[in-house]
Amino acid sequence: MKKKILSVLMAGALCSTLLAGCGGTKEAPTGNSSAADNAATAADDNTLTVWCWDPAFNINAMNEAAKVYQKDHPDFKLNVVETPWPDLQTKINTAGAAGDLSTLPDVFLMQDNAFWKNQISFPEVFADLSATKAFDFTQFAPGKLAYSTVNNVNYGVPFDNGTVIAAYRTDILEQAGYTVADLTDIDWNRYMEIGKDVLAKTGKPLLSSMANESDIIMIMLQSTGASLFDDKGDPSIVGNETLKKALETYKELKESGVMVLVNDWDQYITTMNAESVAGTINGCWIMGSIRAAEDQSGKWAVTNLPKLAGIGEQSNYSNNGGSSWAVNADSKKKDLAVDFLAKTFAGSTELYDNILPSGALATWLPAGGTSAYSEKVEFFGGQEVYSLLTDFASKTPKNNTGVYYYEARDAVAAAATNILAGADVDSELKTVEDTVNFAMGK
Amino acid sequence: MGNKKKLSLSQKQNISGWIFLTPATLLIAIMSFYPMIRAIILSMQSGVGARITFSGLTNYKRMFSDAIFMQSLKNTFIYLIVQVPIMLIFALLLASLLNDKHLRFKGLFRTCIFLPCATSLVSYAIIFRSLFAVDGYINTALVNLGILQTGYNFLSNPFAARIVIIIALLWRWTGYNMVFYLAGLQNIEYSIYEAAKIDGATYFQILRKITIPLLKPMILLTAIMSTNGTLQLFDESVNLTSGGPANATITMSHYIYNSSFKYVPNFGYSAAMSFLILILVAVLAAVQMKVGDKRD
Amino acid sequence: MTKIRNIAKYVFLTIVSLISIFPLYWMAVSATHASIDVIRGALLPGNYLFKNLSNLLIAGDVRGAMINSFKYSIVMTVLALFICSLAGYGFEIYHDKAKDAIMSVLLLAMMVPFVAIMIPLFQMFSKWGLLNTTLGFLLPTLSTPFLIMLFRQSARSFPHDILEAARLDGLNEFNIFLRIFIPTMKSTYASAAIITFMGAWNSYLWPKVIMTDKTSITMPMLVANLKEGYVTDYGVLMLAVLLCSIPTVIIFFLLQKQFAEGITGAVK
Repeated sequence: MKKKILSVLMAGALCSTLLAGCGGTKEAPTGNSSAADNAATAADDNTLTVWCWDPAFNINAMNEAAKVYQKDHPDFKLNVVETPWPDLQTKINTAGAAGDLSTLPDVFLMQDNAFWKNQISFPEVFADLSATKAFDFTQFAPGKLAYSTVNNVNYGVPFDNGTVIAAYRTDILEQAGYTVADLTDIDWNRYMEIGKDVLAKTGKPLLSSMANESDIIMIMLQSTGASLFDDKGDPSIVGNETLKKALETYKELKESGVMVLVNDWDQYITTMNAESVAGTINGCWIMGSIRAAEDQSGKWAVTNLPKLAGIGEQSNYSNNGGSSWAVNADSKKKDLAVDFLAKTFAGSTELYDNILPSGALATWLPAGGTSAYSEKVEFFGGQEVYSLLTDFASKTPKNNTGVYYYEARDAVAAAATNILAGADVDSELKTVEDTVNFAMGK
Repeated sequence: MGNKKKLSLSQKQNISGWIFLTPATLLIAIMSFYPMIRAIILSMQSGVGARITFSGLTNYKRMFSDAIFMQSLKNTFIYLIVQVPIMLIFALLLASLLNDKHLRFKGLFRTCIFLPCATSLVSYAIIFRSLFAVDGYINTALVNLGILQTGYNFLSNPFAARIVIIIALLWRWTGYNMVFYLAGLQNIEYSIYEAAKIDGATYFQILRKITIPLLKPMILLTAIMSTNGTLQLFDESVNLTSGGPANATITMSHYIYNSSFKYVPNFGYSAAMSFLILILVAVLAAVQMKVGDKRD
Repeated sequence: MTKIRNIAKYVFLTIVSLISIFPLYWMAVSATHASIDVIRGALLPGNYLFKNLSNLLIAGDVRGAMINSFKYSIVMTVLALFICSLAGYGFEIYHDKAKDAIMSVLLLAMMVPFVAIMIPLFQMFSKWGLLNTTLGFLLPTLSTPFLIMLFRQSARSFPHDILEAARLDGLNEFNIFLRIFIPTMKSTYASAAIITFMGAWNSYLWPKVIMTDKTSITMPMLVANLKEGYVTDYGVLMLAVLLCSIPTVIIFFLLQKQFAEGITGAVK
């Protein structure tokens, strides 16, 4: 018995090592051949490799763009590799720091908020698109274009729209005696009045937001055209009256119960889908998650956000999120990549009409005028949501994200948490400025 | 003559020993130590992205004036001091309970208790966050029991959020450590236990007098591993609390990751912070080795 | 008295087991619901499993990811176990001051966070042409101080009289390792196999950085892809997560029997 176990085990061990050996040697050629495949596609002048991350959204848009481009360039092929944003960032950093850009694709999607940071950190990765003269950048909404424009040079082709919307449950508002018109073109003071009333009558807050993020504060800030940095890129936080006002408003919202804070993204979505709030304020891409609750069709409506009264430009428009396409400066097929983007994302109303059903709203202004944009959306009670959003986007003030955007944003989020717990606003602003200065090495 | 032969035999054995450990040692040297030396050089450079210059010990000095890094250091040590001992004791307890020949459903119990570390981080994070949410199960239970008046937001209070992280760590890693103890217990002859039981020894006497001394090599291993794992803790901080509220739960590895990939990349600074972790683990491990790695 | 204690033992183990499996249960239940019901907190099985499955098959190359994950994890487990157990055996059975010192130095290799050595490693692999290859995927974690130490610690309880007896029988040193040590230490091998398989199966950061080819996607990458994007389908995500967890659970269940049979019997 003992012998049998022994020999079986030994045979097993031997076999597996042998197998592994074989596997290993077999592996190597396949590994090499896939590398060779890559080399082959690289040699194939008509194939572009693209990295982006959302199958229903930007991947779909890229595939549709390929179809449009293939009409005039039948040999053109597109190889889209699904790459989540954090991984895309990791790969750019690793390849950039190691000085080997060969693993990077020809075209990649870049979060607008991270554009400056990446261009400044790894300038060799980003192709100068202004110099190619292939694009008419005046045809993009200026607020959007600013994200990918560094030192007056364009490095990105703007793609999706992060225009901020305020979405409300019309049925809940009605119970409290309000309509969406009552919440349009208002300021945060009025919002708070209505919010308290709605809360008292229906028990539902008007707004939910994530506790560890500063989205709402950043949205308020941009609606006035203000930012956390000045034109020279230095932090402008201490003495930034708009930021102070935004933080105070945030605190009031929380304390009045008009805004409820949750701990993470999933719970945030739950508050809307499970009907525990009467509305939300976020980038227009949030509509996709709202619409996931099909049984709430017809009960939602979209309008602009409240303005921060008494400060700056005081608009009812802002932006949160969004992304732009960038071209790898090291790519051998840079010219093809530029031509492809110029004839699709910066030149085809057909493309934008095709991708509109997926919720991809154009920031390329000529696309906003087509008939597709005046479609009435049943879910939002028959509103012409798309043309409404295009209108919002054109009115959104510019935002100076700066290079150290994420550092500043996280520091503001920490300050907001402390302020809610009772800390003094001015001293927290000082801490934020110190944190950002420290990150900048000052 | 005989003496000479014996010598060459033990020499032969000694050579076998060296040959056996060479492949693994070489791999580690090339795959870990060489890049580590490169990283040490990197830690003495600073700058943005790929444009970096030599800066000596600036990065190391910088750490000590970095409020967030200091906070992360404190958080990590809180986890280490509170969580590791509880987890190892609990794992030992479970292993000794399950190492009973007469126990039924052993396989089932073992598999269940191991499961948490095989469960994907995604579902684990979602569940823990929703369990401790304001309207989550824990709050519902506490309110129903009359302990709380209304739901309490655990993750918004620094102290409570750390407790949640510690509970999550215990839940996820106790079964993992138990596996090593179970494996170690199999190398102890069962008859020793039987004899002890016949002599009338209680459960805790057996645990203290037989199990723990014989498991010492494994306890040392798990202690070093857990210390290392906790000082490099990343997943829980990122996925459960995002480091919040206001950096009260952020760990060193989470902050290092941010400074490499979320913020403006400062690889030199990240490398410097990483070496501080190395030094801390090395010191703790050396102490543990000193105490536990004796052959008697 | 013993009876009460016995019942207490079972009750205790049952409670611990239930707490342990709850998230897995929730994951399995969620995989049978539409996204919106997962979000609203369903606790009993639903009827959306097949819809989720067909959506998942559209969303990602599940078959390819499964095959890749199995391929990498099995090759990794077998090779790592062999290399590291041989070293652990060498470190302990033939231990002397020099070898003990080397062991301590090796331990340092696991104490530095991987992010710190990732960029130098990427540079090396780019120079050697190992980017986008299976070998490049495997090499950094093939030999780990952890596994070596696990085997070194277990070898401590390997009876020396067996060793001497085998030598008297004329077995050479490698054969003693292969024929006596490996079968004797099967509980250690079982636990090492579980841990290594699980580590390889779940590895994410390095594979993601070094493998850029679409065809080399693994299960954790597939799950990560499903999480990214403006709208998440939680039902599909939970199904993918469930599929990603099952192999480790099965491997554990199969190997855990080894913990029941110790060296008693196998050696004597």
